[in-house]
Amino acid sequence: MSKILQIWSLSKTFPGQLALNDATFDVEEGEVHALVGQNGSGKSTLIKVLAGFHDPDPGHHVTMRDELFAMGSTQAAHEAGIRFVHQDLGLVEAVSAVENLALGFGYRTGFGRRIKWREETARAKQALLDLGFDINVRVPVAMLSGAERTGVAIARALQDSEHNISILILDEPTASLPGADVDRLFEAVRRLKARGISVVFVSHHLEEVFEIADRVTVLRDARVVATRSTSELDMSSLIELIVGHKVTAASVDRTIDASSAPRLAVSGLTGLGLNDVSFEVRPGEVLGVAGLTGSGRDTLIPSLSGAIDRFGDVTIDGVSLPSGDPGVSIASGLAFVPADRLRNGIISMMSVRSNTTIADVKRNKTGLRLNHKKEKAEANEWIRSLSVVTTGSEAPVSTLSGGNQQKVMMSRSFRLNPKVLLLDEPTQGVDIGAKEEIHTFVDSAAASGSAVVVASTDSAELARLCDRVIVMHKGAIVDTVLRNGGSGAGSMAERIDQVLLAGSSLVAHK
Amino acid sequence: MSGNTETATTAARPAGAPQKSLLAKLGLDRFSALYLWGAFMVIFGIWKTDTFLSVASAKLIMGENVAVGILALAFLIPFCASTFDLSIGAVMSLSVVITCFLSDEKSRSFNMPVGYAALIAVLACMCVGVISGFVVVKLKVNSFIATLGIGQVVSAIVLKLSFNRQITGTFSSTFERFGRGDLLGIPVVFYYLAVLGLICWFVLEHTPVGRFIYATGGNPEAARLAGVRTNRIVWGSLIASSTMAGIAGVVLSAKVGLFTSATGPNYLFPAIAAVFFGASQLKGRPNVGGTFIALFALAFGIKGLQLVVGTDSYWVNPMFQGTTLIIAVALASQRGVAKIRKRKAAAAA
Repeated sequence: MSKILQIWSLSKTFPGQLALNDATFDVEEGEVHALVGQNGSGKSTLIKVLAGFHDPDPGHHVTMRDELFAMGSTQAAHEAGIRFVHQDLGLVEAVSAVENLALGFGYRTGFGRRIKWREETARAKQALLDLGFDINVRVPVAMLSGAERTGVAIARALQDSEHNISILILDEPTASLPGADVDRLFEAVRRLKARGISVVFVSHHLEEVFEIADRVTVLRDARVVATRSTSELDMSSLIELIVGHKVTAASVDRTIDASSAPRLAVSGLTGLGLNDVSFEVRPGEVLGVAGLTGSGRDTLIPSLSGAIDRFGDVTIDGVSLPSGDPGVSIASGLAFVPADRLRNGIISMMSVRSNTTIADVKRNKTGLRLNHKKEKAEANEWIRSLSVVTTGSEAPVSTLSGGNQQKVMMSRSFRLNPKVLLLDEPTQGVDIGAKEEIHTFVDSAAASGSAVVVASTDSAELARLCDRVIVMHKGAIVDTVLRNGGSGAGSMAERIDQVLLAGSSLVAHK
Repeated sequence: MSGNTETATTAARPAGAPQKSLLAKLGLDRFSALYLWGAFMVIFGIWKTDTFLSVASAKLIMGENVAVGILALAFLIPFCASTFDLSIGAVMSLSVVITCFLSDEKSRSFNMPVGYAALIAVLACMCVGVISGFVVVKLKVNSFIATLGIGQVVSAIVLKLSFNRQITGTFSSTFERFGRGDLLGIPVVFYYLAVLGLICWFVLEHTPVGRFIYATGGNPEAARLAGVRTNRIVWGSLIASSTMAGIAGVVLSAKVGLFTSATGPNYLFPAIAAVFFGASQLKGRPNVGGTFIALFALAFGIKGLQLVVGTDSYWVNPMFQGTTLIIAVALASQRGVAKIRKRKAAAAA
């Protein structure tokens, strides 16, 4: 296959930071090329330089179809046939697919500048059909599923076929998609590939890389570490390239006193998407919650934490927790990390210090006054113990990467020495290094006697962390997967997946 | 189709220290109000040396802006929790009218000692805050709308109590001394502003409650999930703001000694302007120090301009307040834009 784009010694310096260091990269015709690496490794910078959003440092050499190519402007990239779909898609949610397509292209108008809606609609319909999406193009884009919206964004990026489009760049296209949607998106990618368009995409999900990509380029610390064919790699060798050293999944060996009284007891829990759920968690035990979106897995922790209202009894060491009151629940020994970090977790205008201590500010009070010195020292200790990458305790938390913000959320909870710790999607959008650190911290919370509940869509994560996993379907617990023993064959993650797939049939049994 | 490109794996080091813009180095962004203040002092000092650069005019400006300053503190407290209290102008009128009304010996039979009258005035204003809090927290009305409405209702009560006429309070000489005297060469009322400012500063910057107020302002839902009783914070901040407005009214009564229907509304805008302008100063969030600096920078500017314009200067005040507020906030949001750009660049790296 011929190489359409070749890049040598590409660097990009931001004030105070070398974001991309002497990168070599190429794209072959009609291939799917994945870019992987930890947060801050330079993959976003690379694609943004490709798309012309950033001007690279001088000294690079780039050819496009064997001709010298000047990077650094979106227009040049556009004319060279490079198209870019941003992670947030950039769609206008309130209007239809037809109008979203026309926004980037201009409406076809007839007499008196009347928009030729019929033509426009047919054009949009065809563009989406070509990608494998047979959808209603006249409803507001907000009503479409995640994959369909991505499809609209791709169709919009590709519509001006007067130029010969050669490369489509997708920035974390699957970050916010549920599993079934990922399959539909990949179908679209395969169709593009069949049309001879090369697709470059960024992903944190390594299994997707093996599923769809022909080649993968790994970045670490602003350098391109390797470009390999996916057929030459397996999961562990890819992880090793990303992290830079061998990662051995720590095997958890917890001994839970089966005779001890349950720390957390939930009985008859009913609420948003939940119907009469009961379970108990003992001190030192980690309970996993698996389930598809809408199964109750996603509303269990908000209901328990008091983020949303509920019915039923929730007790910690026999003390009942009120519904819908996080403040009182925290005072009773509960701590939790919500799933939507930006909306429900961090207070972005405040510093790392304030975000760390907000759940118990009074601890650092002397008299009436807040002891800033003591508080800073405490925050710095947490920064050290979770190796949070930040310029200091006074830095606004919004300047941190997602993984490091999540570590701040973790320290906010761990700091309370909770009797019960609830974690909702604790490593979503977190790179693989930070993920392992967060997992280690969950282990230590359990070791110190907390009862831990982890809800996650990542079966491998549940298998890594949990002693027992409850699987939810239609608001009820349909099965329990145990770490040791239990029914079914294969690893714990495989057993969780089997139950998840069989979810509906299990309800039928009951 | 495999192209192996192995390269060295040493970590990249940041190249060069972060560069600060000239603007940031001079502190023109975070201290723009101080520079502005200085510029006013120089310009008007040269232009109107005798009148502007006199102790008398400095004292006048200090004394005149105490009520506005206390009102600015009243606006600041809920504003830090992203809650608006637009009723404070009307609430201050209420305080003035109650103080004058209850202590007036001519038109009514109350003739109450002014101390009690002042206390009742402040308590009445506190009650307005309780009601505002109820409307915002329990009825879930947006604070902007709720306090705008409450302000109108309070204005109506003020008009009813005063029959839309001027009321002159009959104050004891002690009370008047509280409002009109000097202490160590500075108007005595200025000390009230300083003390109230100190209390607000201490609470906002150095107590857990202050932290909760800013957290509620930053992200109410995240704050609630972190255990902050955000409803209490919002409610409490509205009670604090109307109490503070009540105190402003008492101080104004002691200083001026009478009520006119123009009392409240004219004070609201300068107070809000000071808070907004001040929010871009020192810390990049609403704060007491910035508010005071902005307040007096604007006050000295207005006084200078009034002296320059001369007798027809009644239009100077609103013109100046309006334009400086817009320019100040525009500058601050330029800074905000630059910050976002920088953050995006850093995130992309």
